[in-house]
Amino acid sequence: MTAYAYALRQPRFGLAAFGPVLRGLVGAAIGFAIGAGAVMLVRSLAGHAAWEFEQVFVIAYVPALAGWLLGVGLWSRWAKEWFGLETAPSPEGPGRYLAFTTDHKVIGVQYLVTFLILFLAAGLLAMAIRAHLIDPAGADFNEGMYNRVMSMHGIIMVAVAVAAVIGGFGNYFVPLLIGAEDMAFPRLNALSFWLVPPVAVLLLSAQAFGGWDSGWTAYAPLSTTNAHGQIFFNVAIITFGLSSILGGLNFLVTIVFMRAPGMTWLKLPIFVWSMFAAACLALTFTQLFAAAMLMVILDRVAGTVFFNAAAGGQPLLYQHVFWFYSHPAVYIFVLPGFGLTLEILAHFSRKPLFAYKWAVGGLMGIVLISGAVWAHHMFVSGMNSKLLAPFLVTTEIISIPTGLIFLSALGTIWMGRLWLKTPMLFALAVIFNFLIGGVTGIHLADVPTDLSLSDTYFVVAHFHYTIIGAEIFALFGAIYYWFPKITGRMYDEDLGQVHFWLMFVGFNVTFLPMFWAGLEGMNRRVASYTPDLGELNLFISVAAFVLGASFLIFVVNMLKSLVAGEKAPANPWQARTLEWMTSSPPPLENFQAPPVVVGGPYEYGRVAAAPHAAFSPAGAAPAPEAGG
Amino acid sequence: MLLAAATALGIPVLTALVAGLTERPAKPEAEAKLNRDTPAKAAWITFAIWAVLTVAGLAAVLSVDFYPKVGSDRGTHIAHAFRFLTALAVPVAAMVCAVLAYSFFRRGTGQEPPEAGMAFDGRGPLPKLWFGATAGLTALMIVYPGLWTLDDVVHKHKDPDLVVDVQAMQWTWLIDYPELGIENQTELILPVDRKITFNITSRDVLHSFWVPAFLMKIDAVPGLTTTMSLIAEETGDYSEDSVYRLQCAELCGLSHANMRVPVRVVSQAEFDTWVAEKTAAK
Repeated sequence: MTAYAYALRQPRFGLAAFGPVLRGLVGAAIGFAIGAGAVMLVRSLAGHAAWEFEQVFVIAYVPALAGWLLGVGLWSRWAKEWFGLETAPSPEGPGRYLAFTTDHKVIGVQYLVTFLILFLAAGLLAMAIRAHLIDPAGADFNEGMYNRVMSMHGIIMVAVAVAAVIGGFGNYFVPLLIGAEDMAFPRLNALSFWLVPPVAVLLLSAQAFGGWDSGWTAYAPLSTTNAHGQIFFNVAIITFGLSSILGGLNFLVTIVFMRAPGMTWLKLPIFVWSMFAAACLALTFTQLFAAAMLMVILDRVAGTVFFNAAAGGQPLLYQHVFWFYSHPAVYIFVLPGFGLTLEILAHFSRKPLFAYKWAVGGLMGIVLISGAVWAHHMFVSGMNSKLLAPFLVTTEIISIPTGLIFLSALGTIWMGRLWLKTPMLFALAVIFNFLIGGVTGIHLADVPTDLSLSDTYFVVAHFHYTIIGAEIFALFGAIYYWFPKITGRMYDEDLGQVHFWLMFVGFNVTFLPMFWAGLEGMNRRVASYTPDLGELNLFISVAAFVLGASFLIFVVNMLKSLVAGEKAPANPWQARTLEWMTSSPPPLENFQAPPVVVGGPYEYGRVAAAPHAAFSPAGAAPAPEAGG
Repeated sequence: MLLAAATALGIPVLTALVAGLTERPAKPEAEAKLNRDTPAKAAWITFAIWAVLTVAGLAAVLSVDFYPKVGSDRGTHIAHAFRFLTALAVPVAAMVCAVLAYSFFRRGTGQEPPEAGMAFDGRGPLPKLWFGATAGLTALMIVYPGLWTLDDVVHKHKDPDLVVDVQAMQWTWLIDYPELGIENQTELILPVDRKITFNITSRDVLHSFWVPAFLMKIDAVPGLTTTMSLIAEETGDYSEDSVYRLQCAELCGLSHANMRVPVRVVSQAEFDTWVAEKTAAK
């Protein structure tokens, strides 16, 4: 009996399973009390009023976060050994999904489930936004409420885009795909995940303190002067950034050092390459986001004036620092999406991945250029006009490496035998959606056209095409692709295809008209708009409801298949890569015997091609070393 | 609205229920009909799809007016650049769509394919050609319309006929005509066919000065004066056309959406009359 099936049969998923989380909450409360007490004491001693909400909150948050982490398992499963104490054993049974555990597959599932729930929640916010915009004057909320709902939708979806694929599928499948037993730093991996719940709690509890109305971009000086909720946002983002940086580091070290013997760089499955590229970006740029957030916090609580023009500050500084991360961030979203797409296209076209080296070059080329394009978000910001031309040039150049991804995708399906299962439908849709996202990106990279399009629904349509159209479609393709591997059961193919077609049609019918709305003069982030755009918006809203409803089918399919799906064989897709060479789900530490990589991952249709890997029983001849 | 939402939600849910709950007979394991197109035939079919899509796409791009109103000299350049870039994208997008359509309809199968696809992996000249072609197209876009049009759109008038000072504040616009001694207007009145320079700043947070009819936009930044120069080439009035409005385009808090004032572009004679009225009233 597999561990997973065993877990499912465990009748006892009692209160004890919540032990780690409860201990974490107690730890957080104690940490907060200590921190708040200290701040208030110092303030009183210095002759100030003891209570200053934001100052107390920001400083007390640090020990509160430490208390949460220690309580949830950092102490019992890690830190104890720093003091020569015995650490607790790995948790077992279903309770391990709620515990500080080091198994990369459990952590992958923790990420995936967490971010799917957040995705559905932020999707409901999107539905609320569309319901509101049916009426030009705004149907449901007052303006302040609309701004807060829109801001919350934005940041939660950005978090999903950062972490769903990387945290979920990266954690679960990178070690499997490279033939490793686990990530390089399993406990750091657990730490990365357990930094995430505070982020969700902070973003939700912000709403009790006035929320924040500055969007996910939180431009200063609006964000230095609005409600207390803003400080929750900033603290949450710094925490999330820390998780992202640690994750990036872990993936880089894992991919560099943990590859199985024979797994040379040019035999790596393309998804692993895309994770490598995204991890480079996450490790290099996330600090800048945290820096922008920290400067806003300091302006609010410590009396600095980074962004206060009246006192000598410079509001444009915020945008430079913010976009220096946040443009590379869109490649953190989309590169793993490209990787998943190419992966699925090759396996389901029964063909070698076309122009593999060029695709790798494309991924790494995007990484190289992505740090030099940020100011295209600022063409209308009033920055020095000498910067317009250079950023126009660098931004347009990024379409060259991106074109190589298209070359690989189209070459792969050309003359293939396309097996049109649900994952393949999603992967093909990514090509179409990203085509539209990419082409419209050119209009936004060109300064003259951007002057008219910036901050309009054209931009809204464009980034939803790149993020949903490419990354989220790839995410769902991968969910169906790997569902049998993760759960040991098959999903319902019919429901999967109904979900796909509704989502594909709903998505395009929702977002294509938004380009038009932008050209017609509808600016973004508005709770109301001119009446002549009413019918167009009604149409968009109805289409959005269809898109939203498609996820109900997805949820039904997942729950139904999880309980009653057919048992999955080890390799239902007859795919060549390593994760399909072990049981579904894989055992702890992944393989019965250590794999030795022999052939390439995509050698479909080649006569006498060696399998991707062989398994040496213990004591066999020493395997070749992994190449550099 | 409720009806719309109910219909939109109802259709997929019913479909799912039917698909999920009905007993389905096992699909007969018929031999998959395998497409036997040679690469040459496949290429011809794909080329035909590409040609049709390209012709139709170009016809559309060259005939559609993308912007509802192009009411400034800068806007003319911008609308042209938009059309040019879109036209450039048509053959590229048509090629991607043609390969997708051919592969999906001719090479797709619902059942597991009994044989692999053609095992070629792209080590020939094609990737180099592709790289060269995309680099060439990118270079073209950078030079034209990109850098070529840039100065036409952003250059500042050396000797403007009219200077307008604009102050943004949460959540309205205050418009001054310093040369004419007119201050604190909440309507933007401009003479047609005159060189106008706007000096824009903000009293509080970021805002963005945007008149959709002019296709131009620049942020209002506290502590900084940004400028925009243009010639309004057509008369227009917010009461007749909503693109004649001065709209804040940068999220600025509570009433951002309503931060707009009317714009009226009038003949020089009408403008002079308006100025005379305003100065007499003082």
